[in-house]
Amino acid sequence: MEPDDVTLMEGVRADREGAFEEFVERYQRRLYRLAHVYLRNHEDALDAVQETMIKIYVARRRYRPESHPFTWVSRILANHCIDRIRRRRSHPAESLEAVREESPGREPAPSGRWTDEAQRTQEGRELRRQVEQAMAGLPENQREVFVLRHFEEMSLAEIAAARGCALGTVKSSLHRAAAAVRDHLLRSGLLPGAAEGGTGSEE
Amino acid sequence: MREMGRECLWVRERLPLHHYAALEADERRRIETHLTACAPCAETWRATRAALQAVDAGSAFPREAEIDWERLARETVARARAVAADASVAPWWSPSFPLLARLAALVLAFVILGVGTVLVRRAPTPEGRGGAPHARGTEAEAVVSPRSMRRIREGLARQGAARYLLDSRALLIDLVQSPARCRRSGPEIDISLEKARSRDLLRRKNLYERDLQGLEDQRLATLLRQLESLLLQVSSFNDCVAVRQIRDLREEIEHRRILMRIDLYTGTLRGEGASA
Repeated sequence: MEPDDVTLMEGVRADREGAFEEFVERYQRRLYRLAHVYLRNHEDALDAVQETMIKIYVARRRYRPESHPFTWVSRILANHCIDRIRRRRSHPAESLEAVREESPGREPAPSGRWTDEAQRTQEGRELRRQVEQAMAGLPENQREVFVLRHFEEMSLAEIAAARGCALGTVKSSLHRAAAAVRDHLLRSGLLPGAAEGGTGSEE
Repeated sequence: MREMGRECLWVRERLPLHHYAALEADERRRIETHLTACAPCAETWRATRAALQAVDAGSAFPREAEIDWERLARETVARARAVAADASVAPWWSPSFPLLARLAALVLAFVILGVGTVLVRRAPTPEGRGGAPHARGTEAEAVVSPRSMRRIREGLARQGAARYLLDSRALLIDLVQSPARCRRSGPEIDISLEKARSRDLLRRKNLYERDLQGLEDQRLATLLRQLESLLLQVSSFNDCVAVRQIRDLREEIEHRRILMRIDLYTGTLRGEGASA
């Protein structure tokens, strides 16, 4: 049976054989997605995962089992990401979001060389763009809760424990985030037949 | 249109949480009962589910599928252990150090301290010395020697450079092989996504440029310069470009054998990165 997160973290702290390997395997995807929430960039998110894991290992003996390991780990990651964002600001570059928002809609060309495959790719890209926009429009705390529930399938109680906040806060963040993402996607018209129903939840 | 009742409003308000099974059992039952009897709310429920199910990881994290998680985990563990090992090398005062060596180190430390004190007292005090505090280091920097941090940074820079090269390669291939036509103008090609990716890559290159200068490889430097020039070209184009511009770009890539050279260096950099 797999150890729970607290037991696993205690194993890492006590240098139990294989514990850190298992910890990295268990957490790296979750950390990547969370880092992506902050940094909105694949490469930066990957670097953030590695650097956070290194920090965690170096500082493993400072972990106190009173808190959920994810609370500790996610704070280290968040601090790292915030530092990274500050460094970015010292290297001025055009905002990727701004560029994306400016870019016009696309459609496949009608000639024979544009296959069904290309059309599907194009639709996929458009949906991807809309999902990115929908998620980018969420406040950070809502985005974090949404990612943890939607992609990581953590229960609300687990998220509350991990973030060190009340269950009601998690619930209301999830509600707002999910409603905003849903409304954005329905407005985009990319989900055939879904827009007509409306949601009646315009708040 | 039929006016929505209070029950409908109550139900619709809770549909997103219902999708995530985040409601109490009695609320869930109440919603399910209502949905079987109210067609408009059932339609809203269907739309809610369709929208939220469309948010898959592939859309939200489009490049996650490229990650080799096992390899990443192996590299991460190896790096973390290397850093921790450097940080935990037994100091000369530790009991595990031989007694004679400890005594010798102690004497040497006193000598260095004495000489250092004399030199410092004789040296003129430069303006501002000792006044400026060090920039705040990271948690790891506080416990890891500067040499180790430099080694880690160099390793990460090499790995970053390899990824930069690979991503640039993928971008150039997308650009010349899978063009999408612009919606608003006839035969032109829409490169808005590729423009955004180019800018992103240029920004990343700036971040680790200083580390890359230490690689001292003239041919790699040339490749990076040429690649930067291509990316700058792409990022300076309009969102819709003429087919001719893409053709010119392709000719330049072929002429300079950019893709082949990237393949060559990616392997080398990754090898160095792994051994760092």
